[in-house]
Amino acid sequence: MTNHAEIIATEKQDAKGANPPIIWPQKANLLPKEIFVRPDVFEEELARIFYGKEWLMIAHEAEIPNIGDFKTTQVGRVPLLITRDNDGEINVYYNACSHRGVQLETATSGNKLRFRCPYHSWLFNAKGDLIGCPNKPGDFPSDFDKSNYPLDRPRMAIVHGLILVTFNPETPPIEEYLEGYIDKIAQVFGGDGNLRLLGAQKVVFHANWKTFHDNDTYHAGLLHTAFQMLNWSGGSGHQTANARGHRSYVGEVTLPEEVNRLKDPSLIEFKGEASECSSASVRLFPISGMTRHLNTIGIRFANPISVDETEVHYTYFGRAEDDEEMIRHRVRQASNLLGPCGMVSMEDAAVFHRLHTAGTTPGNAVFLKGVTDDHGIPEEFQQSDEAANLPGWEHYRQTMGYPKEQS
Amino acid sequence: MKQICSDVLSKIDDLQTRYIAVIDAKDMEGWLSTFCQVAEASYVYTTAENLRANHAMALVMDDNYQRLQDRVTIVNKVWPGTYADYATRHFVQRTACRDMGAGKYEVESNFMVMTTPEETGRSTLFATGVYFDQVVVDKDQALFLSKKVVTDSSVVERFMAYPL
Ligand code: FES
Ligand SMILES: [Fe+2]
Repeated sequence: MTNHAEIIATEKQDAKGANPPIIWPQKANLLPKEIFVRPDVFEEELARIFYGKEWLMIAHEAEIPNIGDFKTTQVGRVPLLITRDNDGEINVYYNACSHRGVQLETATSGNKLRFRCPYHSWLFNAKGDLIGCPNKPGDFPSDFDKSNYPLDRPRMAIVHGLILVTFNPETPPIEEYLEGYIDKIAQVFGGDGNLRLLGAQKVVFHANWKTFHDNDTYHAGLLHTAFQMLNWSGGSGHQTANARGHRSYVGEVTLPEEVNRLKDPSLIEFKGEASECSSASVRLFPISGMTRHLNTIGIRFANPISVDETEVHYTYFGRAEDDEEMIRHRVRQASNLLGPCGMVSMEDAAVFHRLHTAGTTPGNAVFLKGVTDDHGIPEEFQQSDEAANLPGWEHYRQTMGYPKEQS
Repeated sequence: MKQICSDVLSKIDDLQTRYIAVIDAKDMEGWLSTFCQVAEASYVYTTAENLRANHAMALVMDDNYQRLQDRVTIVNKVWPGTYADYATRHFVQRTACRDMGAGKYEVESNFMVMTTPEETGRSTLFATGVYFDQVVVDKDQALFLSKKVVTDSSVVERFMAYPL
């Protein structure tokens, strides 16, 4: 799938092989399409964004609820190991042995309190301490001390159970980074971070990571036939977006009185007080987010694989206090409503792919819905405005250091 | 173990081949007709990873006959026109069959599905895995009481419109 992107990149390279600079259009509602398809842009994004001054969501505590549970994941190309140690504490390590750097754990999840590196048999506990390393007297330098070789850790933070990491020492503290969004995250989770893991739907989109993240609220009534067919409309709602590129959405959901097109209406049934029936979502820059739709609670952990592949783990949760019937309902609803085969989301995946395929055409993508001033970054948004993505794009432009076109 | 007579096996194999023929033809009514018309009929698609971890979440959970009927509506009425279409080619091979009594059999089959997206015209592997089926056999034919599709891959390629 790299061919389109590589072709355009090669054609644009000058005789010395350098990549031409990205010049951002002056109007605030235009995006240069080439940022979605150029491999050199992707490499720069890893350095400036994913390994830069951003916090990245990698897991929720509820995924590793028991002592000894672990999960492995990646941020960009960096493998990480997340453990719950025998004190019940969460730890995040670079998934690499502190000796010669062999990847320590290969399973995506499991339960163990000891991690043995196969190469020279160094043994680590879930706290990252080196607790064993076979050697005879005289093998190692005389000042060798096991306590100097723990697993290396990135900075980590936990917000309502959500585990985030950053690789940059200058990233602002998490409270500052998520200012105004910490309560919104709790709201999406249904009050707080007391969740219970139900499982995941994993998908690889053949599309750039920004295409996935830019997916807006504007298309729901247009792309998703189910909304029209079921006469299912959103009530009032509103969006927020800030200069760090985080955004949120809260909206009422009014369910049709009669579901006559579906024989099993439980797919869109809401269990609970009708007044609580709302949709809520938070998307954090650069790539991941969480949503609550009807009775589904989901976190979308996304990671850029390459310029034209993005892997997303739609991970679903119940609330800790749920009874078995509620858990069953959440599982049945999430399974058929959302994800890469979901009734109201399969089409998203199909659109990402088509956006990406056509991303090699010249020119700009245009944002219109909710744009009132095409030179200013909007601060107020209606429920389904695509303009709410623009503050995030301005943050992206600045982080990437792309200059604006001079008039 | 009790020997299963060749008549039963041949009805079960006919059902499997009819199943793959109707889905490759995108004949959703035909797909529905391979299931018993009983309330508890079910079609579930999940991954080996979810199964290993004992997670109930699936990619598709049509766990009653009404949901099977709704799947036909979703594929035929909700999604058309929104995705770049693709053809599928299924291959199936029975690997085990157990007699559960009262005309019911548990059948396991390996499957492989190739996909040919219309825009590239190039065939690639879409999924491999195992069908865990409960099949009811009477004097005329065999039908699925339940079909559980478990893919080897934990990651779906792009999206999936037609049942596997
Ligand atoms: S690299 Fe891990 S023990 Fe040597
Ligand atoms: Fe959508």
